[in-house]
Amino acid sequence: MAVDAPRRAAPADLPAGARALRRPFRDNPVLILVVMGLLLAALIAIVGVVNRSVDLAPDYLSEVVLYALTALDLAMLAVLALLLARNIVKLVVERRRGLPFARFQTKLVLLLLGSALVPAGLVVAVGGEVIRKSAERWFSAPVDQVLASSREVASDYYEVRERAVTGTAGALARRLAATSLSDSGLAELGDAVRVDIGLGRVGLVEVYRVVETPSAVRVEPVVNWAAPSLPRGYSAGVADRLAAQVASGPAPATVFEPLPQGGELVRAAALVPGPPGGRPAGVVVASEYVDADLARHSRRIVEAYEGYQQLRVLQRPLQGVYLAFFGLTALLVLLGAAWLGPYVAKRITRPIQAMAEAAREIGAGHFEHRLVPDTRDEFGGLVDAFNTMAHELSTSRDRLEQSRRDLERKNLEVEERRRYIEAILERIATGVISVNADGRIGTVNGAAQRLLQLDGSAAGRPLAAALSRDELEPLRKAIERRVSGRGPDPGGQEVALVIDGRDLHLALATTPMPSQDGIGLAIVLDDVSPLIRAQKVAAWRDVARRLAHEVKNPLTPIQLCAERMRRHFSQAPEPTRALVEECSTTIVQEVESLKLLVDEFSQFARMPAPRTVPSDLNLLVRDVLSLYRDLLGDIRIEARLTAVLPLVRVDPEQFRRVVLNLVDNSVEALRERPAGGVSGVISIETEHDPVAAVVRVVVADNGPGIPGGDHARLFLPYYSTKQRGSGLGLSIVRRIVVEHGGNIEASDNVPRGTRMTIELPC
Amino acid sequence: MTTTGRLVLVVALLLPAYASAQSIRVSSLAREDRVLVSFELAEVYDADLRAAIDSGLPTSITYDVDLRRSTTLWVDRLVATARVTASVQFDNLTRRYQVTVMQDGRTELSTVTDDEALVREALTRFQKLPLFSTSVLEANSEYYVRVRAQTRPHTSLFALPWGRGGVLGSTKFTFLPR
Repeated sequence: MAVDAPRRAAPADLPAGARALRRPFRDNPVLILVVMGLLLAALIAIVGVVNRSVDLAPDYLSEVVLYALTALDLAMLAVLALLLARNIVKLVVERRRGLPFARFQTKLVLLLLGSALVPAGLVVAVGGEVIRKSAERWFSAPVDQVLASSREVASDYYEVRERAVTGTAGALARRLAATSLSDSGLAELGDAVRVDIGLGRVGLVEVYRVVETPSAVRVEPVVNWAAPSLPRGYSAGVADRLAAQVASGPAPATVFEPLPQGGELVRAAALVPGPPGGRPAGVVVASEYVDADLARHSRRIVEAYEGYQQLRVLQRPLQGVYLAFFGLTALLVLLGAAWLGPYVAKRITRPIQAMAEAAREIGAGHFEHRLVPDTRDEFGGLVDAFNTMAHELSTSRDRLEQSRRDLERKNLEVEERRRYIEAILERIATGVISVNADGRIGTVNGAAQRLLQLDGSAAGRPLAAALSRDELEPLRKAIERRVSGRGPDPGGQEVALVIDGRDLHLALATTPMPSQDGIGLAIVLDDVSPLIRAQKVAAWRDVARRLAHEVKNPLTPIQLCAERMRRHFSQAPEPTRALVEECSTTIVQEVESLKLLVDEFSQFARMPAPRTVPSDLNLLVRDVLSLYRDLLGDIRIEARLTAVLPLVRVDPEQFRRVVLNLVDNSVEALRERPAGGVSGVISIETEHDPVAAVVRVVVADNGPGIPGGDHARLFLPYYSTKQRGSGLGLSIVRRIVVEHGGNIEASDNVPRGTRMTIELPC
Repeated sequence: MTTTGRLVLVVALLLPAYASAQSIRVSSLAREDRVLVSFELAEVYDADLRAAIDSGLPTSITYDVDLRRSTTLWVDRLVATARVTASVQFDNLTRRYQVTVMQDGRTELSTVTDDEALVREALTRFQKLPLFSTSVLEANSEYYVRVRAQTRPHTSLFALPWGRGGVLGSTKFTFLPR
C-alpha cells in the first residue's frame, strides 16, 4: 500500500501566513554550545586555579581567589534566585491565566530542578566532607614533630654559631679597649686574630673607629683580617651598617649575610669601650662562615617547616576555595537545571502550543494557517504532519465547498424539476397520489382531485380515510390489494367507478417508493373513460359497417322482387292486385326505411377524418343558430357567447353538425314536453378556460331531461330516448368531438333538462 | 520555620561571629599644625595571628585612617586619608622578626628583633602619629577620625564581600586652633 509520506515543507514552500516557531537566540544551538563551551572552559580554568591554590601566595589566595570564588558563588546564587523567582512568577502567571501546558511546564521544571537539587547538594556535602577529611590528613603529629625538631636543630645550630661569634667579637673588643685602637694595639690584636683564624675560631674580623659628629655618630673602618679560606663576595657594607647600628645605640649585634657562592656569614658586632665615662672607641665585627651545604640544608628545613605551618594557617582559606568551587559547581548545576527546565519545557510545549493555536485558527476557518518547523527532529516531523493535515483540510474544504455549490445547484435543479413535475402533475390529466410510508397521503394532484372529487384537505390524511366514500370503494380495495401483494400485476389495472352517476374508468398503477421512513406508494390514475368509449365506438362502427354490408345487399333484390311482384300482379284480380299492391308497397317502404337506416350506419362507419383549421367557434355557433330562426315556434334559443374566444382547430362542417345535432336533440326534447308547461329554452354558451386550456361549448335545454343512469349510455349507438331515431346522432357527435381531441359530457341541467358540455383543446 | 527563615537566621548569627570581638581604640589630638592620631587594635594578636607570624608568612595589619567631617542629611565629607601598614616576617632559622612600619608608602620603621612583645606593640599600637595637617580643618568644627584595620593574610573560611571592612573604630574631636 502506498502511503503518501508528509512532505517536509521548506520555508519557501509555506504560505506567507506561516508562523515561525524559532527564536533567534534561545533556539540557536550553535550559540548555546558556544556559551556552554565558554562556561566549561571557565570551569576548567577555575579547576586549574583551585588545584594550584596551595602554591599560590597567601594574599593572592585569600584576597583574590577566595574572594573571587565567593563573589562568583554569591552572584550565581543571586542569578539562581532571580531565575527561580522569574520561573515561579512566570509559571504562576501562566497557570492563573490558564495558558495551555502551564501545568505540564510546572511539573517539568520542578522535576528537572528536583533531579538537579540532589546531585548539587551531594556535590557540596560530599565535596565539603572530602575536603575536610583531606585537610585533616594534611597534618599529622609525627610530621609535625619531625619538622619542628628539625627546625629547632637548625635554629639551635645557628644560635650556637651566633653566640660563638658574639663571644669572639666581645673578646676582641675588650682586648682593643685596652689599647684604644692604637697602632700597636691593632698590631697586637692582629697577631691574636691570626691565631684565631688559624684555629678556625673566626673567619673575618673587621675593626671600626667611632667618629662622633655633631649631628650623628658614624664609624669608619680601621683594619680587617680575613681567613684565606673565606669565600669572597661578602659585602663590606653589611659590616659597615652593623657597626654603625651598634655604635648608634641598642640594636641587634648580629646579622646573617648570605653569600653569593652559598653559605652565610654570621656576623656579630661588639663595642670597643672608650675611656671611662666616655664614648665607645670603636666597633669590632667578627664573622664566621657557615658552610654552604649546611646553610642550604638549614634553610630547606626551615622552608619545609614554614610551608607546613603556612599550610596549617591557610587551611581554612584553602578549604574555602574548594568549598567555593564545589558550591560553584553545584550552583552551575542548579542554574543549568533552572534554565534548562523552562527551556526544555518550552522546547517541548512550544511546538504543541503553536499547533494548538494553529488548530484553533484552522478551526476558526483560517485554513491557510501554517507553521514553520524549527527543528528536524520528531517535532519538526509533527509540524510537517500538521501542515500536511492543514493542507489536506484546506483541500477538503475546497472540495466540500465545491460539493456544496454542486449540491446547491443540484438542489436548485431538483427544486426546479420538482416544480416542473408539480406543474406537470397539476396540468396533466393523469391523477397522481403519493402515499407516505405511514399510509398518509403526501400529495394529490389536481387531476386526481378532479377524477375522485377530492379536495385539498386529502393531503395528510390516511389514504383509507380519504377514499372512504362508497363510490370510491372499488379503487380503495384495488389499492389495498396491490399494497398487500394480492392484486394483479402492478403494470396496470382498470377500475370502474360511478361518480355522480357517471361511469369513470380508471387505469390504476402503483409504484413503491422507498424512503428513509419505509416504503411509500405512488398511485397513478389514468382516466381511460374516453378510450373505453372510443373502443366502444370503434366496435359499433365495425358492427355498423358489417350490418350495413350484410343488410344492404339483400335490400335491393327484395325491393326489386316486391316491385316485380306488383307489376306481375297488376293484371290480377282486384282483391289480389290490391293485396299484392299493399304488400309490395309496404315491402318497398320498409326496404327504403332499411336503406335509410343502412345509409346512416354506413355514414357512421365511414365518417371521414376531420380536416381541422383554426376556427372561431362563436361564428360557427351563430351560423348554426341562424338556421333555426323563425322555425321553432315557442322554443327560444339563447346564445351566451363569450366575447374573447381563441381560435380552435376544428373541422367547421363537422363542428356545425355537432352543434346542429345537439340543438336538434334539444328541440326534439322540448317538443315532447307536456303541453302547458314551461316555455322551452335552449341556451348555447361558449367559454374559455385558460387554466385547463380548453374551450367549452355548452348546449342546455329545460326539457324533460335524461332518465337516471342513462347518461353513460347516451352516446352509445342505437341508444335513443326518442320514439323515432336511429340512436346514432350522439354517437356521431361524440365521435367527432373525440376525433378533435375533445370530450363531451352529458349532465342534468338545473333546475331541469339536459346539459351537454363540449371541451375542445385550444 | 521555613527553609528561608532558617537560612536568614543562620546568616544573622554568622555575621556578628565573623565580625569577631576585635576593636580599635582611637584618639586624636590637634597640635602644632598636625592632627595626631593614636590607635590601638585590641584582641587582634590572637593565636591565629601568632600562628600566621610563626609560620613565616609575611603578616601585616593595614590601618586606613580617614579624617571625616559629619554632614547632615548627606554622606560625611572625607577630609583626608592616611594608610599605616605594620608588617612582620619571622625567620624561623634565626628566630628573629623583621618588623616594618610604613606610613603612606614611606618606611617609618624597619627593624629586626627577637622580642615578640615589641612585635606585638609595633603591629597593634600607634601613638600620636602626625597623619594629617590642620590646615585642611576649619576652626571650631567637629571632625572624627575613623580607623579601619585589616589583617593579612585572611585565614577565614570565606571572604564575604561585606566582611572585608575589617575592624572599625573612630573618635571625634573639635578643632580649636591655638
